[in-house]
Amino acid sequence: MVFYPITRLSLLTITTPPNKSMKPSIAMLLGLFVLISVTTSRAQYSPHVDTTGAKRGPYNLVITVGGGISYYPKHIGIPATLEQTNNGRWGVPFTIRAMWYPDHRLLAGIETGWTTLYSYRGRVNGERARVYVSGVPMLLVFSMPLAWLSGTERRLTRRLAITGGTGAYLINSRLNYQGIVDAQEISIGWMVAGSYVQPVGRRVRIATELKWLNATATQDADFSLQLQLLWRAFSW
Amino acid sequence: MKRAWFYLLLGVVSAIGLSCRTEYEAPVPYDFSDKPGSGKFTSAIRRTVDGVYAVSNGSTEFGNQVALRWTYTHDGVDTVHSLSIFSGVSAGFFSLEINQQADSLAVSGFWRKLVNASTGQAHFSLKAKRNGQLLPYTGQSLESDTLVMDGYYDTGTGSPQQKMTLTYLRPLNPAPFEIIAHRGGGRTSDLLNASENSVRIIRLASRLGAHGVELDVQYTKDSIPVLYHDNKLNLRLVQKNGLSGTINQYTYQQLKTFVRLINGEEIPTLEQALQTVVDNTELDFVWLDSKFNGPMARVQALQQRYNERARQAGRNLRIIIGLPSTEAIASYQGLANKANTPILCELDTATTRGLSANIWAPRWTLGPQTDEVNAMKAEGRDVFVWTLDETQFIEQFIGEGNFNGILSNYSSIVAYYHYTTQ
Repeated sequence: MVFYPITRLSLLTITTPPNKSMKPSIAMLLGLFVLISVTTSRAQYSPHVDTTGAKRGPYNLVITVGGGISYYPKHIGIPATLEQTNNGRWGVPFTIRAMWYPDHRLLAGIETGWTTLYSYRGRVNGERARVYVSGVPMLLVFSMPLAWLSGTERRLTRRLAITGGTGAYLINSRLNYQGIVDAQEISIGWMVAGSYVQPVGRRVRIATELKWLNATATQDADFSLQLQLLWRAFSW
Repeated sequence: MKRAWFYLLLGVVSAIGLSCRTEYEAPVPYDFSDKPGSGKFTSAIRRTVDGVYAVSNGSTEFGNQVALRWTYTHDGVDTVHSLSIFSGVSAGFFSLEINQQADSLAVSGFWRKLVNASTGQAHFSLKAKRNGQLLPYTGQSLESDTLVMDGYYDTGTGSPQQKMTLTYLRPLNPAPFEIIAHRGGGRTSDLLNASENSVRIIRLASRLGAHGVELDVQYTKDSIPVLYHDNKLNLRLVQKNGLSGTINQYTYQQLKTFVRLINGEEIPTLEQALQTVVDNTELDFVWLDSKFNGPMARVQALQQRYNERARQAGRNLRIIIGLPSTEAIASYQGLANKANTPILCELDTATTRGLSANIWAPRWTLGPQTDEVNAMKAEGRDVFVWTLDETQFIEQFIGEGNFNGILSNYSSIVAYYHYTTQ
C-alpha cells in the first residue's frame, strides 16, 4: 500500500493580490495549465511506480478538512451614503476537499467550504446598516506534490505541493438595513494554493496551506492561511 | 532541480502576466459648462445650421458627409442648446455646446466613436462661403452663400489640431421617423459618461440622436417601479457594494441607500424618469419595457399621469407600455381599466391585433417582413423594430422606408442614416 507523502509548495508570487487593473481571465487558467503541464511532465517519472505497466494502482481517496484565517485584500465599495463606517476584512474560512490519489503525482478532486469575504457597517440617518458577504467555493482542483524534486523524502521541499482549481463560487450577501435581505449569486472563479504536509501517521497528515480564492464575476478574492488534516479514507 | 524551479517560476510569471487585461475607458475630454441661453445663435441661425454637410477635411475619420442637428434640454425657464453631428463611421458623433465667450458663432465640445473608445475635443466656427472666401457668418447672408462649419478636432493629443471642414449640402430629411434609444439613451458598456437607465442618460439621449427612449421597468420589493435592465444586481451595471440578487428583493430605500449605477447615479424611479422626459427634454416617445411580473397598475398610473402632464404642457409626447412576453400581456390584461393605456406588442401580428395594440414591434432579425408591416400600417398601427445596431441593416431598413422607427443602442447611426436619406 502506497500513500504518497502529500507535499505542497507555498506560492507567494501567485497569492500576491493583483492590482486593480488586473483581472483574472482565461489567460490565468491557461498559465496555470502550462504550469501544471510542465510539472506533470517531469513528475511522471517515479523510480517506484511503473504507470505504463498493466498493473496499476494502488489508488487512494484522501479527505482534507481545514480552517484558519482569511484576509480580503480587494476594494470593498462602501456606499458614500453611510456614515461612521467600518469594515471587516478578516474571516475564519473552512475547507473540505476530496482528492483522488492515483499512481502518478497529478492529483484531482473537488473542493468546497466556506469563507467570509468581507463586511461593512455604518449608519444612515442614525439608523444602523450592515452588509456581510461570504463565499462557498465549488471547485474542480488539481494538485501536484513536488516529490520529483531531488533529495530524500525527508527534505522539506519534497513535502511541498501546489494546488490549483477552477469552478464557481456561491456568493452570499446579507443586508441588514430596514429589514434583512439575503441574496445569492453564482460567480465563476479559480483558486491557487501552496502547502506543506507533515506525516503524523499511516493514514493521517497535517498540512499548512496558503490559498488565494478568486471569484471573477463579483471581483472578490480571499487570501487564507489554513491548518488542515488529511485523512486517507479509502484505498483500492 | 534548478530547471524545475525555472519552469515553475516561468509558469507563475506567465499566469500573472497573461492575466492582465486592458480596461477600456472613454472619459469625456471636454468640460461642458451647460450654460443656459443661446448666445449669438438665435433661433433662426440654429434652424439654418440644421442640415446635411459634406466633409472636406476629416473625411477619413468621419466619412464624406455628416448630419448636424440642434437639440436642447430645459431646466425650468433655462434652456441649454447643444449641436450634435452624426457621422456614419463607427457610430461617431460630436456633442458641442455654444461658446458664449467667443466673438463669433462658435461651438466646442467633443467627438466620440461608440464602437471603440476613441474620443477627442473639437471646436467649430460658423462661416459663410462667398465667392470662394470664408467669412464669419452673422446671420445675414446672400442667396449664393454656403454655410461652412470650419473647425478642428483632436485625435488624442489633448488639443484640437486636425482641421475639419463641413460644407452645407441640403436640409435634414424631414420624414417622420422614431429614433428610439435603448436603455434610456445608450448602454453602460459603450462607455458613455452616463449610466444606462439613469436620469442623466435620458437628458443626453437627444444629443446622441434619439427622439425617444426605451426604459426598462422593474418593481422593487415595496412595489416602486424603477429602471434597471438586468435580472440581477451585477458589476456590469452597478458599482461594487456587496449586494447581489434581484431588484425586487430590495425596497426602494435600500436601493437608494446602497446601490449606485456605474457612473455614480442612483437607480431612478420610473416617476423620476418620466418627470425628466416631460420637464427637461424634447423627447417625443417613451417605450416602457415591462421587465416585471405582477400587477401593471402602478406603471399604468404613471403612464397616464405623465401623458396628461405632457399634453397640458403642449408636448407631443407618447408614453407607451411595451409588452415583450406573454407574462407582460397577462399583467396588462389584468388591469381593471385599459382606457388611455397605449401599448406596444413585441409578439406576433395576431396577438398585436388581439390586444388592439397601437404599435407592433418585431425583432429586427425577423427581417423586413414587408407584407406584415404594410398590413399593420394599413390598420393604423406604427411598426418599430428592435434592437438594431448593425449599420448595414439600419441603412437598409431606413432606405426601404417600411418601418416607422428603430430601437437601437446606437441612435447616432440611426440618426445619420435617417437624416441623410434623400
